[in-house]
Amino acid sequence: MTWTTPTTSRRTLLTGGLALGAAAALPGCAYIRDDVPVAAPLPKSAKAKIDGDLVYFNWADYLDPKVLKGFQREYGVSIIESNFDSMEGMYANIAAGNQYDVVFPIAKWVVKMRREGKLRVIDHGQLKNADQVFYSGSYFNDPWYDPRSRVSVPFTVYKTGIGWRTDKVSGMTGSWEDLWNPQGARHIFTLDDQDEALGMAALRLGYDVNTAKASHLTEMKKLLVSQKRLLRAYSSDDVNNMNGGGAWIHHMWSGDFMYLRQGLVNKPQNYDFEAPREGTPINSDAYAIPTNAQHPGTAMLFIDYLLRPENAIRNINYLYYPFPVRDAVATFTELAKEVPACDIDVKDLENPDVFRLLSTKEVQARTAAWTEVKAS
Amino acid sequence: MAAEAPHAPPGVQRRRSSQHTRMWGYLLALPTVWMVTFFISSMVIVVLLSFGTTTRDGFPVFGTNSGNFSALWDEVYLRLFVRSLLYALATVALSVLIAYPVAYAIALHGGRYKNALIAAIVVPFFASYLIRMYAWKALLSDDGLLNSGLRKAGLGDGISFLNTPWAVIGGLVYGFVVFMILPVYASLERMDTSLIEAGNDLYHSPLRTFFTVTLPATRAGLYGGMLLVFLPALGDFVSAQLLGGSSTFMIGNLIQQQFVEGQNWPLGSAMTVAMMAALTVLMVVYLRATSTKAREL
Repeated sequence: MTWTTPTTSRRTLLTGGLALGAAAALPGCAYIRDDVPVAAPLPKSAKAKIDGDLVYFNWADYLDPKVLKGFQREYGVSIIESNFDSMEGMYANIAAGNQYDVVFPIAKWVVKMRREGKLRVIDHGQLKNADQVFYSGSYFNDPWYDPRSRVSVPFTVYKTGIGWRTDKVSGMTGSWEDLWNPQGARHIFTLDDQDEALGMAALRLGYDVNTAKASHLTEMKKLLVSQKRLLRAYSSDDVNNMNGGGAWIHHMWSGDFMYLRQGLVNKPQNYDFEAPREGTPINSDAYAIPTNAQHPGTAMLFIDYLLRPENAIRNINYLYYPFPVRDAVATFTELAKEVPACDIDVKDLENPDVFRLLSTKEVQARTAAWTEVKAS
Repeated sequence: MAAEAPHAPPGVQRRRSSQHTRMWGYLLALPTVWMVTFFISSMVIVVLLSFGTTTRDGFPVFGTNSGNFSALWDEVYLRLFVRSLLYALATVALSVLIAYPVAYAIALHGGRYKNALIAAIVVPFFASYLIRMYAWKALLSDDGLLNSGLRKAGLGDGISFLNTPWAVIGGLVYGFVVFMILPVYASLERMDTSLIEAGNDLYHSPLRTFFTVTLPATRAGLYGGMLLVFLPALGDFVSAQLLGGSSTFMIGNLIQQQFVEGQNWPLGSAMTVAMMAALTVLMVVYLRATSTKAREL
């Protein structure tokens, strides 16, 4: 696995295009809260020093508890943990004024919160281990969702593909079409996730994963409905569905697959994963510090602590998700050596199949399509 | 009170009873404030939001837009409503079949273990509904405990319990059956058992005694229980999400979707309001019908 990126990239062009698009869209905004200043200076970074206990807001069980304990011991502070169960839930809590010191947004939510001034700058100079993720040539020096990584530090990365049981089905072709493999009839699961399910259909049809064009949505709807006769359920509980034996072919996240195969089942050789050739959505989670955090200094130290390679390695061995921390990368590559499709490569990070922040109108059009699929 | 103080002058009594009224007033003030602040005001917000719109950035804002309600006249939503209604009715029917015998056995034959038995039924419900649903998922999965048992017993190759409408209804029954057991138990407990003895003395068969004496006497509890099971079952989304299949999407899931992935709080609010209105009408009809029946007794 390499994390370096060539100097000129498709992404650079793409970001340029996006900026143009955003500038063009601006004068047209007539809504109340749309006047959030896009070019406003970002809230200033805090100094990395203890300024109180850490109020921590993350998915449940998404870091090794031993690492959290280690931080508390070393710095003599407590971690006050609360959890969210969706990005929308996380965002609603922050938008409602609740104060957290460290949060874990997915890429497109970094875009949204940065734009709204809800995230503080994280001064890389304050982080002793910054060079573990922001070394020369690292993709994360300038990721698509956070130009120059001003307000976020990369946490994990993962892609969406297909996990399957080699003892139950054969004839997998390396295409999204495999989610229609008749050998898996009534044992096929599609993720119960609007972006992922629509994105999968879009990729199969050769469209952009974010498309909200009516004609595209109609075709995607038809395609997804055609899967229903083979489908067992829509579910994002991919690990349990596979482990419980109900799923033979599962639209799933690479990190979840690694956890299932390496950490859970008795016969890992019966499980395999593919990243379909039409394209695989890639996503990143990040560390961020909300603007209204009460203890941003502690949060800075916490992020720095998690960037220490030994802690990243502990987290990799606990979560089975790859962490883009330079000296921990080899650990994941070793873990994934039997399922290289789960490993993340710079080509994956560069790929354009990322879930972008869409306008409300686009989101609602996509929801309407997804509702029709699920209701039919 | 008169019995406690037979010689007290009338003025004292009046004073005491007015003190009592004032005390009750004070005691009621707190829950009233609580309800107004947290229950009614949130309802009002939902109603107001149902006329709102969403900004381009996904923020819900209040407004005077009735478009959310006209958007509800969609064949897709109607289909989901009918599906949810059928699931909820099946849940009520199964809950009656399970709850009545249980409540009957405890109330009339529980003896001194009555309270312990009721506690045994109630205690598991202190655990989160979500956790209990996950437990069912583990039990019923294709390689789960139940299917392994069936296979070991040589009863075929296992059954796909999960991801079916039956799994969803089963989850709903398990989730809410306690709301049926408790009111039925209470009415059986209150019932004058000499009526059953009288029925037997009059040479009624046990079955006939049950249908002509016991059942009518406990009707109020049963009707109450049906309502308490029906309402949450109709709006539930957890069971369908965790135990359901590709075609078990319910109205609760639809509403949840609007608030989460759909970024459309106003439409979700309109769905909630429409649902509450429909249920209110249903309830009024139901309560009138059942109270007339209860009076006929």
